[in-house]
Amino acid sequence: MSAITVFSAKKIITMNPVRPHATHVAIRDGRVLATGTIEEISGWGDYQLDDSFADKVIMPGFVEGHCHLMAGGIWRYTYVGYQDRVDPDGRQWPGVKSLEEVLARLQEAEADLGPDDPLVAWGFDPIFLMDRRLDKNDLDSVSQNRPIAIIHSNFHLMTVNSASLSLANYVADMDIDGVAIGPDGTPNGELQEMAAMFPIMRRLGIDLRELGRTTRSLVDFGKVCNRVGVTTAADLINDLPDEDVAQMRVITDGSDYPIRLMSLLNGISQPAEETRERALELKAKSTEKLRLGAVKIITDGSIQGFTARLRWPHHYNGAPNGIWNIAPEQLNVLVSVLHEAGVQMHIHTNGDEAIEVALEALEQAKIKKNRPDLLHVLQHCQMADRAQFRKMKRLGVAANLFSNHIYYFGDKHYELTIGPDRALRMDACQSAIDYGVPFAIHSDAPVTPMAPLFTAWCAVNRLTESGKCLGEYERIGVSEALQAITLGAATTLHMDHEVGSIETGKWADFAILDDDPETIGAGKLKDVGIWGTVLAGEKHKIP
Amino acid sequence: MTVLGGFLGSGKTTLVNHLLRHADGKRIMVLVNDFGELPIDQDLIAAKDGNILTLANGCACCSMGADLYKAFAAALDYAPAPDHLLIEASGVAEPKRIANFARAEPDLTLNGVITMVDAVNFEKTRTDNRLSDIVEAQITGAHMLLLNKCDLVPTQDLEKCESVLRGFNGTAPLIRVEHGVLSADIFFGEDIKAGRLKEISEGSHTHTHEADFARWSVATDTEIDKAALRETLLQLPSSILRVKGIFRASGEDGLWIAHKVGAHIDISRLPTDSSFSGNTGFVAIGLSNQDFTTILDTAFQSIK
Ligand SMILES: [Zn+2]
Ligand SMILES: [Zn+2]
Repeated sequence: MSAITVFSAKKIITMNPVRPHATHVAIRDGRVLATGTIEEISGWGDYQLDDSFADKVIMPGFVEGHCHLMAGGIWRYTYVGYQDRVDPDGRQWPGVKSLEEVLARLQEAEADLGPDDPLVAWGFDPIFLMDRRLDKNDLDSVSQNRPIAIIHSNFHLMTVNSASLSLANYVADMDIDGVAIGPDGTPNGELQEMAAMFPIMRRLGIDLRELGRTTRSLVDFGKVCNRVGVTTAADLINDLPDEDVAQMRVITDGSDYPIRLMSLLNGISQPAEETRERALELKAKSTEKLRLGAVKIITDGSIQGFTARLRWPHHYNGAPNGIWNIAPEQLNVLVSVLHEAGVQMHIHTNGDEAIEVALEALEQAKIKKNRPDLLHVLQHCQMADRAQFRKMKRLGVAANLFSNHIYYFGDKHYELTIGPDRALRMDACQSAIDYGVPFAIHSDAPVTPMAPLFTAWCAVNRLTESGKCLGEYERIGVSEALQAITLGAATTLHMDHEVGSIETGKWADFAILDDDPETIGAGKLKDVGIWGTVLAGEKHKIP
Repeated sequence: MTVLGGFLGSGKTTLVNHLLRHADGKRIMVLVNDFGELPIDQDLIAAKDGNILTLANGCACCSMGADLYKAFAAALDYAPAPDHLLIEASGVAEPKRIANFARAEPDLTLNGVITMVDAVNFEKTRTDNRLSDIVEAQITGAHMLLLNKCDLVPTQDLEKCESVLRGFNGTAPLIRVEHGVLSADIFFGEDIKAGRLKEISEGSHTHTHEADFARWSVATDTEIDKAALRETLLQLPSSILRVKGIFRASGEDGLWIAHKVGAHIDISRLPTDSSFSGNTGFVAIGLSNQDFTTILDTAFQSIK
């Protein structure tokens, strides 16, 4: 019989209501054998006691139910965001608090580059655009000859220098949508939306999708997760060609790889039947640490980009309604085909019209065929009203709510995009609880930084960047938020029988914390220190 | 690059197949911005490599799912570079957003946004409140409107449909189409870079076309003022579907190319690597009515 290891801790928060707290956890073969006191555990036979967590708090490893592998790869570019961040290798990147600091950081990065490399930076915060906008002249002061591109934190804007502009021949006012013009009548370096950004990206070799595909990106992604206590993460869209799957299997298999990775197949790049066949094929390739077979379907765009599909009365500022990536009619067909075959779906819906259309498609599919084995998930599900939560309950559909949005974009939603009434009900965790809808909360990293305790803090406090409380009613308790980032998210990934709580039979996947999130206070939840994680009983200390 | 928009089932696929079948030596690359089967007739296909189909006549077709930019990158890197890029936009795409890309990308020239409307289902789709704004954007953003399935609809419905379309977009020519069939030269415009202009002006243009359309051409060596030309093109009625020309511009050296479809006018320098060797001048194609020739003769008389 294999050996038993017992971790002692200041406190173990199990998320198992039968035994919510414990002082010891026993592990055998990578799984939780028992929790409780040392006396109770010793009944299982000889054990090796490990006291290294004696002054730590152990929780189930956090589950990030919606992020992207790009969250690792993006760090190959220079970070110029407002908030302090830590890169996958542990280097501290203090937030840059003024345009001068942005330029100084670029100057520094410029000095390290080879003669032919472009300088690419990311995470630039719109907070800098309030009084004076960054323009090509600022960037020309960093370099006249080397092409420079600054990707803004929302990924919808870019500011470039004159060297980049001339590569794409943006040298005069050619009346191109998205190429902003300065007071002198020539492009000022700001490029809005993909059509205008793409010619530059193509010439500088910036391919955001490719960023998620290399070995290094996968490894870096694991490091990003490890730093924030995540032991299971879902990569929410991927084309998953065979060669990538093979590579993912090799990397995740390594005992040093600190997470279980789920990767979802892009459901709108091939006909419905092909998606179904591929999803079933992928499911069979799953391993203990790589989960495949679920499908992502993107219906609308984003609220902050004014591309979400909204019901009446549409946008607060009168902007035209958003876009469909798939016609409602086609969605009905796709959802029925996948549901019928037993493929789990994660449907991206931001606006309430997209939510309505997705729920109608699921309703039709569920009337046609009863598949009680499947829990489909509305991803983001930001604008759902209470009637839509009641419908989710009736249909047995889960929600993964984008709580980080409240902090990062809440002010803008209140003032500009959807107005107060609907902003106050965004990402409605309390409504999900009221009606018993299974739910998780997420970061969508790299759109916002991955850090489940920060996401929990958002759901509990609902504070925006300016400090406003965006809808007191929808705030939830700390224990409910902790549930959402563990068992709740595990449920949306069909993994709640394996991870998400510390109880007998489940994987010994833990987050090891310096502080106790249950007592630190709701306002400080995001400040809980993290030592690292344990995956299948193996320690992964943050290096 | 030409963008073909239109709602699901409007007949875009039939038209694309027709254009590929009558490519006439032009290498057309079709990008399909949708996720159904690649809608190319089996007998045209010569080979399949990943998601790119190659056709026996040198054309190619590539499915891009919903990922427009991945497909753009593939098309721009495709060797040998195609003569024409035709984007078959998805039923819910706003063709103007796609066209914006051609306007921004220096390696592409926008040849126009053409939207196909299904005369049978138009009213139903237009009044669906989840789709009405998209259908409207597809119509208002078009440089040319094709009203398809005209043979399946009573004349009075057809007229009603046309008046609604004109209400949304007064500048784009509106062409009735049956069975999704339209000549390539109306769709893409005359190909004058390869010296065809010479042929045309010498009257040896022998293609047979639908009787509804008329063609016109003029050869000229005169230096032309660009601003005056733009103004002249702008003033042409919407029954003139397309105008294309290669000319000498006053105060500039080298050759210039002008092209108009609907309200879209583009006047730019002819790339120096262009293989153009024919006479300079203009060609036009339009709906044949008795004034067709007079309109064009008068318009171009004033700038020569
Ligand atoms: Zn999404
Ligand atoms: Zn996402």
